[in-house]
Amino acid sequence: MNLSIDKDCCTGCGKCVELCPGHVLAMDERGLPIERYPDSCWYCGVCQVECPEGCISVIFPYLIR
Amino acid sequence: METTKTVACDFLIVGGGAAGCMAAIRARELNPDIEVAIVEKAEISRSGAAGRGMDALNNVVVPGVGTVDEYVEAVSLMVDGIFEPTTSRVIGERSFGILKHLETLGLHFPRGADGNYIVNPFHPKGRFLVEMRGDLKKIVAERTVRSGARPFNRHVALDLVREKGRIAGVLAMDLVSGQIRPFIAPAVLLAAGGAARIGLPNTGYLHGTFDCPWCNGEAYRLGYEAGARLTGFEYTGTSSMTRDFNGPGLSTFIRHNAYLINGLGERFMERYDPVRMERAPAGLRMKAMREEINAGRGPVAFSFSHLPQETIRMIEDGIFEAERPTMRDYFRNKGIDLSRHPVEVVASEVYLCGGHGLAGLVADAWAETDVPGLFAAGDCLSNPYGFLVGAMAMGEAAAERVAGRHAPRPAAHDLDDRLAVLRSRLQRHRKGALGVPVRDFEYKFRRLVNEYVAPPKSERKLRRFLHETEAMVKDGQDLPAADPHDVMKAFEANAGLFCARMAAEASLFREESRFGLYHQRVDYPEKDDLRWKTRILISAGPDGPILEKEKI
Repeated sequence: MNLSIDKDCCTGCGKCVELCPGHVLAMDERGLPIERYPDSCWYCGVCQVECPEGCISVIFPYLIR
Repeated sequence: METTKTVACDFLIVGGGAAGCMAAIRARELNPDIEVAIVEKAEISRSGAAGRGMDALNNVVVPGVGTVDEYVEAVSLMVDGIFEPTTSRVIGERSFGILKHLETLGLHFPRGADGNYIVNPFHPKGRFLVEMRGDLKKIVAERTVRSGARPFNRHVALDLVREKGRIAGVLAMDLVSGQIRPFIAPAVLLAAGGAARIGLPNTGYLHGTFDCPWCNGEAYRLGYEAGARLTGFEYTGTSSMTRDFNGPGLSTFIRHNAYLINGLGERFMERYDPVRMERAPAGLRMKAMREEINAGRGPVAFSFSHLPQETIRMIEDGIFEAERPTMRDYFRNKGIDLSRHPVEVVASEVYLCGGHGLAGLVADAWAETDVPGLFAAGDCLSNPYGFLVGAMAMGEAAAERVAGRHAPRPAAHDLDDRLAVLRSRLQRHRKGALGVPVRDFEYKFRRLVNEYVAPPKSERKLRRFLHETEAMVKDGQDLPAADPHDVMKAFEANAGLFCARMAAEASLFREESRFGLYHQRVDYPEKDDLRWKTRILISAGPDGPILEKEKI
């Protein structure tokens, strides 16, 4: 897990999934974002910056944390 | 494997980063009848090495501050004279126009107390680095879409198609559906970045690289296989990067006069390059760092405590706001406060990058490669230390030639043979006979790069790498891929291995030491201008790569 996604605050708009440059995120069956390919994360913070509700924060891959 | 309807256009751009977007904008501006399509792995508003942001243009010849001749000389110093100066000249000539263009798009270039742009030194000579603020990629991408160019986001280019020696199109994969989407076009611009995942970072995290990890040399490989030449692959770059985070800051720190200290608190660059200090060419700075660490005087760090608060705020604003907001979080987690603490730096993994070093496709002043109709711009083009401005300038140059050429579109049926080859490649990945995950394959060759290709180099080590990885070239064709994301990863890993082997071949060929740490050969410890003041060009031969010298 490289990201912390607050599912209570997420509206499911999908912006993080659309814009993640690493194709890390996908929508789950409830319509909320999940880290489908966590190994591809560069902790660049696009998801964090783009989330209109401020629900995502980067907590960094454990190996670099 | 389904194939969607072929898209025909006049100018196809592979990679919607800074180079690709500027090429699209320029082509449409010059000729609105030209249909432009962009094949982009991610989403163009956040893709490429500058996708999150950039806090400066590193190389602008600002009238009254610098000249194009000085700029070309500065680049020459950075690459020890081993370059074809035409590209750097073109970049220097176009650089101020790029700045003005970005300014009209809404980027902000702060002015100093004298009312002029803030231009700082970073190169070994001259002043070319201009402070910039604003959400660069978003702004450029919006303009790209407004221009009428058509982005195909989440599409991965897997193969190039030629017809009678000319470029004819691209076969791409839709990353969402997994379908193959063929494109035909008389002009194709490769603008898909350098190769970031070549060496292994010391964190062991495969995507924790200095350079954008989603670009892994696919453009180099596509161009080479289509008949274009490569150069500069012996320039195996590494960079002094914030420990573990491995992120931006280097040019920001240097231009604002932060300096390197060793574990004893000594400003050690005084011993290695007392005049240029931290602005010494990168390979020399890295060699100095390596020597300090090897002598037990580490760890090495950037020190900021001597700087006024105002400068520290500018550094923080640049790297935290304009470039990488997550770096602020990282520093906070580690308890680092720039005004009080030094920032430890380590040597990044080895990477190949035509805009930060030398490794790239060879092209003329209009960015056209040896293959008619095939262009290259950005980090996949050898445009030494061209950085962001170089990417944009050469993207524009390519667009200008394409717009002026009015080439007819190739016929669609010519794609059939290549489609069959691609389908069988994808079929092998689906079967996955190797049975080893892509990440193990990638870890293995990157560990071998650290052991045998990263400097200091020797014939013995380089040959060992080529021997050890020979079987991996075949193995890579059978890497398992359960879904389109895995297919993309398998192609990236194979391209990375291809690039690493080219780096080993070129490093073996250059029998001298040059570029400071970057091409330090223990078996040829001296620089040999008489024999080696040459570029090394690599082309595809029937039995493997052909390496040749080209006099500068």
